[in-house]
Amino acid sequence: MIEARELTKRYGGKTAVDHLSFTVRPGLVTGFLGPNGAGKSTTMRMVLGLDTPCSGSVTVGGRSYGRLPAPLRTVGSLLDAKSVHGGRTVRKHLLGLARSNAIGRRRVDEVLELVGLTEVADQRAKGLSLGMGQRLGIAAALLGDPEVLILDEPVNGLDTEGIRWIRDLLKSQAAQGRTVFLSSHLMSEMELTADHLIVIGRGKLLADTRMREFIETNSQGGTLLRTPDEEAGRMRTLLEAHGATVQMDARGPWRVTGLTPVEIGELARGHQLAIHELTPVFSSLEEVYTNMTQSSVEFRGGVQDAEHETKELVR
Amino acid sequence: MSTLSTTSATPAFGAALAFEWTKFASLRSTRWTTAAVGLLTVLGAVFVGLSGSLQPDDTVLGGSLTLSVVSLMVAGVVGALTVCGEYSSGTIGSTLAAVPSRGRVLAAKAVLLAGMLFVIGLAACLLAYALGDAILESGKYAQGELFPSLFGIAALFAVVGVLGLAIGTLVRHAAGAVVTVVALMLLPSLFGPLFGDLQRWIAGATPTAALEKLTQTSDASHEAVGSLGAWPSLGLVAAYSVVLLVLAVTRLRRRDV
Repeated sequence: MIEARELTKRYGGKTAVDHLSFTVRPGLVTGFLGPNGAGKSTTMRMVLGLDTPCSGSVTVGGRSYGRLPAPLRTVGSLLDAKSVHGGRTVRKHLLGLARSNAIGRRRVDEVLELVGLTEVADQRAKGLSLGMGQRLGIAAALLGDPEVLILDEPVNGLDTEGIRWIRDLLKSQAAQGRTVFLSSHLMSEMELTADHLIVIGRGKLLADTRMREFIETNSQGGTLLRTPDEEAGRMRTLLEAHGATVQMDARGPWRVTGLTPVEIGELARGHQLAIHELTPVFSSLEEVYTNMTQSSVEFRGGVQDAEHETKELVR
Repeated sequence: MSTLSTTSATPAFGAALAFEWTKFASLRSTRWTTAAVGLLTVLGAVFVGLSGSLQPDDTVLGGSLTLSVVSLMVAGVVGALTVCGEYSSGTIGSTLAAVPSRGRVLAAKAVLLAGMLFVIGLAACLLAYALGDAILESGKYAQGELFPSLFGIAALFAVVGVLGLAIGTLVRHAAGAVVTVVALMLLPSLFGPLFGDLQRWIAGATPTAALEKLTQTSDASHEAVGSLGAWPSLGLVAAYSVVLLVLAVTRLRRRDV
């Protein structure tokens, strides 16, 4: 369990994290979303006691990180996979961390096996590929068999197989009752992995909700509709006459909003029109997220760097 | 998951020390720089012995330890690198996540450096003296008193390692820290003469001056490095090194990583 209360961090005149309160619960994978510069990394660094909040507090399992007797055995973290000295071997890197928290040497071999780095254990870290470096970071996070995992962009640099591996790993960790908190800018990935979402923009909380609810609530949604080409014009006129909005959609000929699938079906039957496909759709997390952060940006009055921020997340 | 082979004990200072030792011993750069501390002193004795370049008024001890002043600088560099290397590689984040007490991290580094440099300093100086004594023409030079000065010299290596650690923590960048350490050891004796009577105070307070007094070399004249005795000089250097280390701990505690 991670609990942030009114967490605030300012750098000079710039507020990176602004009275942020949230709770990350055990047993779930909680995704941490926000555009670049939204304050995700800063927040995670404050959880780990690396940066000191200007005001507010954050605890892990009821204690501030600095008061944990053996922090690696409670919290495993991956903030920056490059934070390994290139001249040190994979094994020695992990062995040092293990010793710092009185974790047995055998556990080093276990996590090496777990992340699939056993064969390169005695190579220097600078020879590792980006993906292997990321696996080493994950190994370090798992070293103390922690109750809480905090991972900043863990899938960076991983190939498809690696991404799936991380997804399964995180889900199984959460299924064991652990707290998993991860940030990612890969929203499609977040949609598949996370159960719960914490969304921030400009250091402020935008949403703290279950993934499904988040999509359902913020989704534009609609119904995908496919009809025979010769009836398409009549169908469109009919639907629009009953207050629906009909748009072209990449996934099918039309996306209908304003009417439920039941209403569309009944209308079609009443007018003897054929339907080849009728699929209720929710927006993807990416769409919802883009809409949401855009409006949060507009809310702030569309200043120069806000526009920049929007471009960043649309990209 | 019951596979975790941990001991249940709360990790104590020893764990932080073991962590620092593992990091230190697992890098080629720190291993070689530390080895250089010992090698330079020993090679210096051989060189002075064979070249016959020793001033007639010098001592066997002082002559044998001619290059110990360079070794001492390298000891300071080793101290700086143990922390600057963490900043340049980015491991400082994982180090402080593993051991959140920043005072404990620096204390562990200081104990490791001091212990290691004391032993290396002691062994290297003893070997250098033995070599110098064997090679230099016997009876030509005053012998110099090996004990207890030798322990003071070894302690000075330890102190300078800690001084380098403190400077490294304050400066963070390796190049900046190395320049600062070397400047602190070299500049006062280079520019001391410009300050007239103040020279004795400026040059006399440096680790270099303390070393010259401890090795009883003829360079350690009252005009150059003041009349403060060898041991008080060592005490003075130790005192301000500790003060700098405390300052470094304070800075590290306040600083975001």
